[in-house]
Amino acid sequence: MRVGGAHACILGYVGTERVTPGSQSSLREANRARIVSAVQQRGSLTQVELAGVTGLSPATVSNIVKELTGAGVLATAPTSRSGRRAQQVTLARNLGLVGGIHFGSRSLRVCVADVAQRIVADQRMPLPPDHRADAGLERASLLLTELVDSVGASMSEVLAVGVGVPAPVDPESGRIVSVGVLRGWDGVSVPEVLERRLGVPVRVDNDSNLGALAELRHGAARGKRHVAYLKVSHGVGSGLIVDGRVLHGRTGAAGEFGHITIDDNGPICRCGNRGCLDALIGAPALLRMLESSHGHLTLSDVIARAQDGDPGCRRVISDAGRLLAVAAANTCNLFDPELVVVGGRLADAGPILLDTFRNVLAQRTLPSTAGPVEVVVSELGTAAEVRGALALALDHVGIAVAVAG
Amino acid sequence: MSSSHDVARQTQDGTAGGRTEARTTTPVLSVRGVSRNYGAVRALVDVDLDIHPHEVVAIVGDIGAGKSTLARVMSGALAPDTGTIELDGRPVTMPSTRDARAHGVAAVFQDLALCENLDVVQNLFLGQELRRAGMLDERRMERRAWELMNQLAARVPSVRAPVRALSGGQRQAVAVARSLVGDPRVVIMDEPLASLGISQTAEVLNMVERLRESGLGVVMISHSMVDVQAVADRIVVLRLGRINGDFDAQHASYEDLIAAITGITPTGRTPRRPGPDGV
Repeated sequence: MRVGGAHACILGYVGTERVTPGSQSSLREANRARIVSAVQQRGSLTQVELAGVTGLSPATVSNIVKELTGAGVLATAPTSRSGRRAQQVTLARNLGLVGGIHFGSRSLRVCVADVAQRIVADQRMPLPPDHRADAGLERASLLLTELVDSVGASMSEVLAVGVGVPAPVDPESGRIVSVGVLRGWDGVSVPEVLERRLGVPVRVDNDSNLGALAELRHGAARGKRHVAYLKVSHGVGSGLIVDGRVLHGRTGAAGEFGHITIDDNGPICRCGNRGCLDALIGAPALLRMLESSHGHLTLSDVIARAQDGDPGCRRVISDAGRLLAVAAANTCNLFDPELVVVGGRLADAGPILLDTFRNVLAQRTLPSTAGPVEVVVSELGTAAEVRGALALALDHVGIAVAVAG
Repeated sequence: MSSSHDVARQTQDGTAGGRTEARTTTPVLSVRGVSRNYGAVRALVDVDLDIHPHEVVAIVGDIGAGKSTLARVMSGALAPDTGTIELDGRPVTMPSTRDARAHGVAAVFQDLALCENLDVVQNLFLGQELRRAGMLDERRMERRAWELMNQLAARVPSVRAPVRALSGGQRQAVAVARSLVGDPRVVIMDEPLASLGISQTAEVLNMVERLRESGLGVVMISHSMVDVQAVADRIVVLRLGRINGDFDAQHASYEDLIAAITGITPTGRTPRRPGPDGV
């Protein structure tokens, strides 16, 4: 695999809105950029879809795609769309690779994908409770380097790396802005550490925000504009999509769903408040409830036993669904999403979680003539966050299109 | 569970006294009062340990703390000087690893003991070949080999690849798969992560999780605290041949473990069992 031909060079970041002087050649260049950025965001789409997304005429799209394919920027493959022949357009694979890293509360997942967002290497590993930033980032960079090696490439071919962490992150600086939410990571500037270690640009965001982004681009929320993505794993978080964009707020702490207060007299949360959702339905809380009756379990044990019909495990998950819905109802009343996507490990429990969730959510949101908000399970499952990290990395790779003519 | 355990549990988490009594399973494998000397060296001194099904117990400690000796005693490779090994609460004698395997206790030692020139299937069934009408049943062995490798989610290019051609993590997977051939209930792994790269470490850790999920008791000996805390349910610290702490992995901090390994007693924490000589 080789990076960057003579025609495609990679710049820092090319904004989607570009000022276009009125000449015909600059208009053509703007159209090319529009097509490349559309393909870059969606990974792969047909020419007809491309025309719809960019607003260009099918003939223009066809011409530009042909030109860019010749220049080695795009690649096309025959496919069929509602029974008709069509051309699937992706970025040319030899433009380079991107890396995605997802730190969960108890696991690390690292993926390497090509610019067409096809995952070429993927590895997950468990992490200790309260893992620390220095050791975690060291492991992640080692793992990424080994994965890149394993596909016969070198780190110089990696264009950018996206990272998701389970704590609020300032999207501009990549610094963890929370105190106490992710012990051992407070105030750490992830890009600073990783860029020095890996020598490639690194972008960081909250993992639930990335899950939301991935569901919006490739998963259950495709084509929606207002979406709430709820991640219920070891910790609880959410990513909010408003008007097709991830909502970050002032410092990146928007959507800190896990720290909505549910019970004024509840247990003290790791953030220092009382009765946060995360302190009530995060994995440690669920496992503690089962400890006296079931002994030492892990989250996947609880889900597996619930599915096998264990009444205690079912009850714990269904109660979690109720509390989740209480918090989700407040969120829905605030910004009225078109869709609620439930992701994370606990979503694997399916109806045990979701039946209660849907009922309580419908009870607690403002009744609407449009009916209750639609609730679906994540399409990407536990890969959502790492897919979002890949998308984040790719969004910040500028593929400048300098084709002669 | 003996009362000395309760003391240890309470020191880890003062609010949860008595929580381990409610455990719904009885231990599969118990070590009772085991001591073992090498000449004047006391490698193990009066060690008690319970392994439950569906549980990963990590044994950590300094060099010479007795970790490998304990693993060898538990797997029948070494006879204790005093003390007994119990299976399902009944004392058994396991004079060899073969007897231990027959009792459902399989071990994977540091050297893995694989034959480089043989392929994965041949290694798995070496000395325990499946036969049909007196002939080797290659098809059944190959199918079973794939089943075992899939159960471990181990990625090998082919079960007909010679072990020579495999990476360190893949070899570890083959060695673990071989220990699973006799459907054991406890798997003992001695330093499974030694000299592995990070992605192979990841594979072995995922494999330990898979073993646990399929209901086995897993004993893992390691000195990598991060890896131990990532997969273990319980962490047992050995120091100078004695058990110097039995921690719930969920709540034990890195500092607690290091303190127990090095013999420091942090303020507010009492050692698990003050020995007769006041240790």
